[in-house]
Amino acid sequence: MRLKLGILSAAFAVLAAPAFAQELTKDLKKGAPDLKSAGPLAFGPEGILFVGDPIGGAVFALSTEDTKGNPEDVKLNVPALDEKIASALGIAPNDLLINDLSVNPATGKAYLSVSRGRGPAAVPVIVVVDGAGKISELSLKEIAFGKAVLPNPTGEGKSRAEAITDLAYADGRVIVAGLSNEEFASNLRSIPFPFKAADPGTGVEIFHGAHGRFETKSPVRTFALYTVAKQQNVLAAYTCTPLVRFPLDELKPGAKVRGTTVAELGNRNRPLDIIVYQSGGKDYALMANSSRGVMKIALENIEAQKGITEKINDKAGQTYETIGSLKGVLELDRLNKGNAVILVKDGGGPTNLQTIPLP
Amino acid sequence: MNFLARTAAIACIAVAAVPLACSGASAPQIIVREDRIRVSGAVDGTLTVTVAGSDVPLFGEATADGSGLVFVPRFPLKPGVAYRVSFQAPGAGRVEKSFTLPLPPPSPPTTILGVFPSRDTLPENLLKFYLHFSAPMSRREAYQRVRLLDGAGKPVELPFLEIGEELWNREATRLTLLFDPGRIKRGLKPREDSGPALEEGKSYTLVVDAGWPDAEGRPLKQGHRKSFKVVAPDEKQPDPKAWTVTAPNAGSKDPLTVDFNEPLDEAMLHRSLTVTDAAGTVVSGRIEIDRQETRWRFHPAVAWGAGSYALAVDVVLEDLAGNSVERPFEVDVVRPVERAATSRIVRVPFTVR
Repeated sequence: MRLKLGILSAAFAVLAAPAFAQELTKDLKKGAPDLKSAGPLAFGPEGILFVGDPIGGAVFALSTEDTKGNPEDVKLNVPALDEKIASALGIAPNDLLINDLSVNPATGKAYLSVSRGRGPAAVPVIVVVDGAGKISELSLKEIAFGKAVLPNPTGEGKSRAEAITDLAYADGRVIVAGLSNEEFASNLRSIPFPFKAADPGTGVEIFHGAHGRFETKSPVRTFALYTVAKQQNVLAAYTCTPLVRFPLDELKPGAKVRGTTVAELGNRNRPLDIIVYQSGGKDYALMANSSRGVMKIALENIEAQKGITEKINDKAGQTYETIGSLKGVLELDRLNKGNAVILVKDGGGPTNLQTIPLP
Repeated sequence: MNFLARTAAIACIAVAAVPLACSGASAPQIIVREDRIRVSGAVDGTLTVTVAGSDVPLFGEATADGSGLVFVPRFPLKPGVAYRVSFQAPGAGRVEKSFTLPLPPPSPPTTILGVFPSRDTLPENLLKFYLHFSAPMSRREAYQRVRLLDGAGKPVELPFLEIGEELWNREATRLTLLFDPGRIKRGLKPREDSGPALEEGKSYTLVVDAGWPDAEGRPLKQGHRKSFKVVAPDEKQPDPKAWTVTAPNAGSKDPLTVDFNEPLDEAMLHRSLTVTDAAGTVVSGRIEIDRQETRWRFHPAVAWGAGSYALAVDVVLEDLAGNSVERPFEVDVVRPVERAATSRIVRVPFTVR
């Protein structure tokens, strides 16, 4: 006779496959990572999930061992995902915060960083959603992981903290954008990966010149990495709204990096998330915004863009169109060649996970 | 999901193929404890624990011991949440139980302890407010709970930088509310289109909604209003050379007093000024900030010895408009900065006699 326990359906679905001795995961050590919070997420190769922990002031690399699958076969559609996750965590939906969404490019599974609770004692959880709509937890009890502690000039016990606004992985380094809750400073950090305890990476200040005259420190709110003319670029939305680019190579110790403004995205707008993709042989960025819906920005000839230095109209710089049908998009990631996954809130209703064709 | 291989206890049940063989034939009973749910007298069947009204099972682990099935939720059951347990044994009726763990007795409601800057005249290019609370607060509420009203009581549109995770200290008792830098920086679209959030000569009120839930989900004891008048923008950097440093007497425990010629950032005043002795060692003591953040006093832990000291100023220290000792908030590249700090620390020497 077989014991059927419905309660287990969600709990142990994840990742019993053995680890592969691969290049990047081989330096990760098994254990229980001490995440204090789970904020921005980004996937690297080999199923490695990078998790920004703003409360703990660290970035974790977790070996999900989720490496087998084909994202081209996956469609992720889960209505009322927030309610379902809240139920699995045993709380009311208003006690759940979904912090970020990242799709594993190797398998097409969606990973979400969530908080069980809304106060400082909230428990961080990484939730996994597969193509069948099954919700499970990425268990952190015994997982191969690495940790990079972000330097905090004030040390423990002070009120200064740094929000992590976004992170990404490229070519052996993790790029982390942060914003302090005290001094107004931009902080973009490049941390070599695999992490080494003695190397917290390079912090670079990002500046923005408006009209070629007034220059200010400019924190980055969200960014994507984008290769153009064989050069890795950071395509970043500043907190003060321009979309800029700068070469990744410029993130060097002591460097003062000035982004080239490639688009002015206008007023009453808050960029939330950005991805880069190809369609019809051309490159585009797709950006979710608080009030302007989702923007599709053409990246063609972006390398030739000298930067916007004059007063401009609303459509200056790279051309973009607003996808009117997409409203209330909170999070965005690429699923496969032709599709993106969005986390979308329909008015005051629940939050849905949805697959949409890339426009 | 096949549960069979998970525990030794299961093996006992797998061998005992006859329903209810391990524990006799009494009807199963659901017993709820804070950390686990037990179905006594059961050895086989489907046990489901959900939040009431949901069909998604709770994460958790079920095991069987000699006298029944035990479900240990992955996360502790939360007081105040309604749960439902359902157990279905093969060929038997369903047993169900709904329950809610009682809430602990309420603690005193959370209050707003203060808002900084504390003065009521503020520069047009004010960069931030700090809101201090008496207890931890709930995240992802701030921008719906704080409004800036103009002199006519009309809300100013999008005055603040809205960052998804919000800017809290680790304890979630202090929120940093940054003005949208796009509305402060000259030449950027938000300011070109909508003008600055604050305008010189006008009056405003920062209104904090009493409905803002604390970390326990309870509203604040009461809301808060801070009215202020806006004066000319402050484009000058704080200059330690212009501060008045009053040295205490040797042998006393009198405070070292530093009078700034303007209010400075309250949060950073707690960490960016230190006192060092002639050997460069940091002197231990207690900081006091008053006169609306224009005065900083340092009470030494032990009486002052005669000699040379210095006030060490971290150049990150900002005024109310984000101009730091190191650099103005905005650098006019056509008119280069006259004074730029070249080191991370600026020292202001003083002598104790």
